[in-house]
Amino acid sequence: MDAFAEKMRIFRDHKVVNWHEHVWFNDKNELDEGLLDGLVRDAEETGTDMLVCSLPILAQTVTPEEFRHCNDTLAQALRKYPNKLRGFAFVNPGYRREMEHEIRRCIEDLGMIGVKLYYQYRIDDPVMRDLIELCIRLDVPILMHASKLNYHPEEQPFVSNGPHFAAAAREYPEAVLVMAHISGGGDWEWSLKAIADYPNIYTDMSGSVCDDGLMEKTVRMLGAQRVLFGTDGSYSACLGKIIGADLTEEEKITILNNPNFERYLSRGKEESK
Amino acid sequence: MIIDGVAYLGNWPFRKLRYNTAAAMAERMDRCGIDRAVVSSLSAVLYKDVMNGNFELAESVAGSERFIPLAVINPAYPHWREDFLFCLEKLGMKGLEIFPGYHGYDLTLPALRELLELAAEKGVPVRVPGRLVDIRGRHWLDTPENLGAAEIEQIVRLSPRTDFLICSCNTAAAAKRLAAPAESRPGQLFYDFSRLERFSFSPAFQSLLETAGTDRVFFGTCAPFQYPEVQQVKLFYSGLRAEELGAITAGNLSSLFSGDGAARR
Repeated sequence: MDAFAEKMRIFRDHKVVNWHEHVWFNDKNELDEGLLDGLVRDAEETGTDMLVCSLPILAQTVTPEEFRHCNDTLAQALRKYPNKLRGFAFVNPGYRREMEHEIRRCIEDLGMIGVKLYYQYRIDDPVMRDLIELCIRLDVPILMHASKLNYHPEEQPFVSNGPHFAAAAREYPEAVLVMAHISGGGDWEWSLKAIADYPNIYTDMSGSVCDDGLMEKTVRMLGAQRVLFGTDGSYSACLGKIIGADLTEEEKITILNNPNFERYLSRGKEESK
Repeated sequence: MIIDGVAYLGNWPFRKLRYNTAAAMAERMDRCGIDRAVVSSLSAVLYKDVMNGNFELAESVAGSERFIPLAVINPAYPHWREDFLFCLEKLGMKGLEIFPGYHGYDLTLPALRELLELAAEKGVPVRVPGRLVDIRGRHWLDTPENLGAAEIEQIVRLSPRTDFLICSCNTAAAAKRLAAPAESRPGQLFYDFSRLERFSFSPAFQSLLETAGTDRVFFGTCAPFQYPEVQQVKLFYSGLRAEELGAITAGNLSSLFSGDGAARR
């Protein structure tokens, strides 16, 4: 374990920002403080300096009341750990007016720093246009759940993957789009090939898939500057992928604290004061 | 010492693998501080005649102390009994691995029970993986399902004298499900933790240790499919004592492959 401890030092020696984590509801539809406290403990134990969290609803239909409650609950978590957490607002873009109001509320009043989307609509659906244009105006990134499911695609009928992001990026080259969890989203080779040529599409490396070669191919196709560190409930897997990947130290450090996203972190802190 | 209980050598048609030869895997093992690996033939998973894969594996690890080879046997294919015995007696293989999903047979196949009982008679363990590849990104020609907890229990119950290495699945759930039968069967059950998370969100790793005990858990990386370091992270943060770590990383498998399995019965 001593030799391994030496490898793990990269997380202590450099700033680590985890761009994909969550807080959750308990069975009373309130903030699950046990899970939240556990997540923060995990971050501290592993040398993670900042957690960027959202509270999405994993269902095809989400009402404005529901997504407002998600964000209010997330805000509670942000207030509990102001030096450890940042937030992404969750909305259902199908509710255009409510979506716009909620994003503004979360970014401008609650100090959140981006928008989290799930699979209610694909990223290139026309309904997304208002949301994407708003995020461009507000200068915030969009992190969207993504997956190319080769089996059981019926489980997530409107989930986005690489080609959908590519279409959105062509229409909005000024948008900052993050295709979530390259390591948790099914056929990662499919999605990487689709997004490779669009510099405004990033990906985070979160997820439980630990395919050898995944990190190397992601960096080779996108560049380390388009890859964000993230875990999404799979801390062991994601730490291990960083350690095990055949990447340069500089590439790993870039991923652990992506310089293209650093400005969003300080933004959130200023607005929440 | 560290023994990797879940590793493979050979060809895989659905994705390019980097460390699927003995030489490349040995080099990768060196980088991770892994001394030995329990390997079976990936090629045999998809060859019609598994023996072609077993011969390839035997040739590739011949003379090497670093690899503990397992035979892949398809009990639905002719000559399976002779092939299995040949693997043990002539090719120096130390156990068996089965792939019902890939080989297309139902678990009620009588020959499966016979094969498992023969393994027990010969004192060799049987490795049963829940999957080789995450189903979400699996190639569209790959097998469409995993081996679930119910199927694994069904396999275990076929032959109470057989030692099983259950891996590449939710082994925390499997261990809970098999806790009662485990107590009454003479064969032992061992579990890897390659698909379990150690941290707070899903502390299944801790659950496995509590259910099965550290003397029934083994280290397995699923190489060359996965980064070995992922499993090492779990042990690094496990808080286990040195002797417990020693059992998981080598002791449990050393005992199992010591060759006295038949004598234990």
